[in-house]
Amino acid sequence: MTLQHYLVISAILFTLGIFAVLTRRNAISILMGIELILNSCNLNFAAFSRFMTPPEDISGQIIAIFGIVLAAAEAAVFLAIILAIYREFGSIRPNEVDTLKG
Amino acid sequence: MVIPLISLILLCPLAAFAIFGLLGLAKRSFPRQDYLSTAAMLIALVCSLLLLQEVVPDPEPHTVKWLSLGSVTFSMGFYLDSVTAIMLIVVTLVSSLVHIFSMGYMHGDPRYPRFFAFLSLFSFSMLFLVVSDNLLGIYIGWELVGLCSYLLIGFWFEKDSAANACKKAFLTTRVGDVGMFIGMMMLFTKFDTLSLYGETGIFSLAAAQLNTADMVWLSVAGVLIFCGAVGKSAQVPLHTWLPDAMEGPTPVSALIHAATMVAAGVYLTARMFPILTETSSLVIAYVGGITALVAATIAIVRFDIKRVLAYSTVSQLGYMMLGIGAGSYVAGLFHLTTHAFFKALLFLGSGSVIHAFHAMHGHGHDDDHGHDDDHGHEHEHGDHDAHGHDHGEDHDSEHVLGSEIPPDQDMRNMGGLRHKMPITFITMLIATLSISGVPFVFSGFWSKDAILGGVLGRAMEWNSVHHYLLFGMALFAAGLTAFYMFRLIFMTFFGEPRNQEMHNMAHESPKSMTVPLLILAALSFPVVNTLWFNADYVKPPEQAHLHAPEHAYVSPDSKVGEAGLTFSLFGISEAVAAEEGGQDTHGAHGDDGHHGHGPAHTIAMVLSIIVAGLGILLSWLFYHRRTLSAESVANSFRPIYNLFWHKYYFDEFYDGVLVALTVWKARLFAQFDGTIVDGIVNGVGKGTRDILAVFVGVFDNRIVDGLVNRVAEVTWSIGGRVRRIQTGAIQTYLFVVLAGIVLLILIFRAL
Repeated sequence: MTLQHYLVISAILFTLGIFAVLTRRNAISILMGIELILNSCNLNFAAFSRFMTPPEDISGQIIAIFGIVLAAAEAAVFLAIILAIYREFGSIRPNEVDTLKG
Repeated sequence: MVIPLISLILLCPLAAFAIFGLLGLAKRSFPRQDYLSTAAMLIALVCSLLLLQEVVPDPEPHTVKWLSLGSVTFSMGFYLDSVTAIMLIVVTLVSSLVHIFSMGYMHGDPRYPRFFAFLSLFSFSMLFLVVSDNLLGIYIGWELVGLCSYLLIGFWFEKDSAANACKKAFLTTRVGDVGMFIGMMMLFTKFDTLSLYGETGIFSLAAAQLNTADMVWLSVAGVLIFCGAVGKSAQVPLHTWLPDAMEGPTPVSALIHAATMVAAGVYLTARMFPILTETSSLVIAYVGGITALVAATIAIVRFDIKRVLAYSTVSQLGYMMLGIGAGSYVAGLFHLTTHAFFKALLFLGSGSVIHAFHAMHGHGHDDDHGHDDDHGHEHEHGDHDAHGHDHGEDHDSEHVLGSEIPPDQDMRNMGGLRHKMPITFITMLIATLSISGVPFVFSGFWSKDAILGGVLGRAMEWNSVHHYLLFGMALFAAGLTAFYMFRLIFMTFFGEPRNQEMHNMAHESPKSMTVPLLILAALSFPVVNTLWFNADYVKPPEQAHLHAPEHAYVSPDSKVGEAGLTFSLFGISEAVAAEEGGQDTHGAHGDDGHHGHGPAHTIAMVLSIIVAGLGILLSWLFYHRRTLSAESVANSFRPIYNLFWHKYYFDEFYDGVLVALTVWKARLFAQFDGTIVDGIVNGVGKGTRDILAVFVGVFDNRIVDGLVNRVAEVTWSIGGRVRRIQTGAIQTYLFVVLAGIVLLILIFRAL
């Protein structure tokens, strides 16, 4: 297992995430895409920390843990917003929430 | 010491006014403006008294350069000779007393502080006029006192009559001032300076440079400058403003329109004394003589106590002018001094009487001013009631004449006041005795006699018909003076009260008013005579351009002071002799010519005592004993009485001719303006609108608007297209962002 393996996995995850964010119609699916992107980043941090720095320096891994916490918080807020949108519009499809569109 | 003292004299009243003005900017007023102004005047008075010591025989002016215009330099400065010093005392003394009097008289007026501020400004201006050593400074002070006179006559501007009177005073004096200005400019073009004294002053230059060929020119200049004095000193024909000026508060009448400002004209004429020629002297003497006579005849038929005094003032100013015109420089100024005191006293006394009646009117309301206002309305109503049925001329003339008399100034409402107002009565009686020329113990006698003697002396000396005629006029006027002044006293203070209701309410005035009266009464006795009769102190200037006519009577040596005996009564005989002797040493007309003065004075004195006695006697018969009836005499001389009553129709003449002409001219110009000027303006306007504006309009509509519209349309269409990019779909945006990032990465890779 070399650094490249991790990076490839991370790239696949990132691409999948982007693809999900750009193509899905459902806001929940978009959230899942965003989570994939975040996790690909976390994987990158951990991998680089493991292979590129001395073993006693674990700051990259700590940032990954921060990233996970951040993702959790973000997911909570996001879901709350989606819930509010659903109550208001009866839909969670972003292209249908277009009150501001001119 | 001269400069600091004079500066202090000028600055004190100015500061009192400035404090009022500066606080006025902040919309406040000093709570005791009256004390401030009075204190300022008292300081000035003390300084003036100190200045008496500083007078030297041949003073030099103290000047500074003020304004340089090209090659011409105007200087400003002070000139202190004995005349200046005495004038300073007269002005500050009368002014101080009037200030004190006003505290009582003006009490409760809503514009009380302003009144004192104006008095201060006036005092400053007058003092500035007096001490100036050059015509420009005199002119500045001259116009300033005119302004103060305007402000104070119109002090109760709610009254139409006061508002009209102040405008009349201002405009009438302005007529004379134009002449004065032209005269000044004539002197200026000749001598390139307006300074009077010193080696480069007008007097020295005139004495050195002018020859007989310039005499006509110099006479014209002298008469023109005298025009200013005619306006300011209310000489015929510009005297009509002074009686109307009595609409102002009575202390103002006393200070400005009796004692000081109107005397400024006499002062100016006296200052011009060295450049007077025979012709201009004679013009001055005639104007003065005619004024003295005309005003005295008008005064004998007036019923308004203040107007009697006003005409009396005009008449006495005429005397002073006559004295100066006849070469009696000292006598003219001497009469100015004595007149200032006794006439101020008479006016303040009349103010005291009016105040007593005021208080009666003001029974319901304490506010002095308030019921003054009421009076204004009252006579307006009275006027309308009385003349409501008359149409045309009569109504107009009555209105113009201002002959509606306020009840508290009408002598027909007075009588028997001597018991009610003893101090006012006694002081006014003293002043009346003085002005009437009751011999020896009153100052007025000495000064009037000095003028009469001077005129007669000149007549005898020159054997001049003009001067004999002038002497006759002056003598007759002296009799009339005694008559109308005692008429005033008898009607006001003697006899039975004619209006019982008003009489009951009358009372003596407060101390602040009676004390000034007492001081002025003391000054009506000959206390200042010694100053004037001291030849070392007051020296008549040399008249280099005045020559006795060739047929002048040349007496053999007759230097016998027959008048010596009578003069010695007051220990001034030597002084008189010295004066006459002093004149000889520098008299332009030789030693012999002057000695007519001795017998002339005796003759004049005897005659003046006779006419004064006659006047008083007649007055007593008419108005006290009533053995003669004024009405029947008036009826038998109806045309003359009407002439006097209508004041020689001067006002009618001015209204009918000058005012009407001016109005007609104004109408003509208005017509010209309305048809021709307006026509041109409107034509140009119409042309612009109809021709030029059409082209401009097309240009505007097509080109300017077109450009603006094109720009707007282009912007609109671009906007319409660009807005499609903004779909509102987040995923589209994100896709664009991603594409952008990929593009950037590719670009950086390529680099």
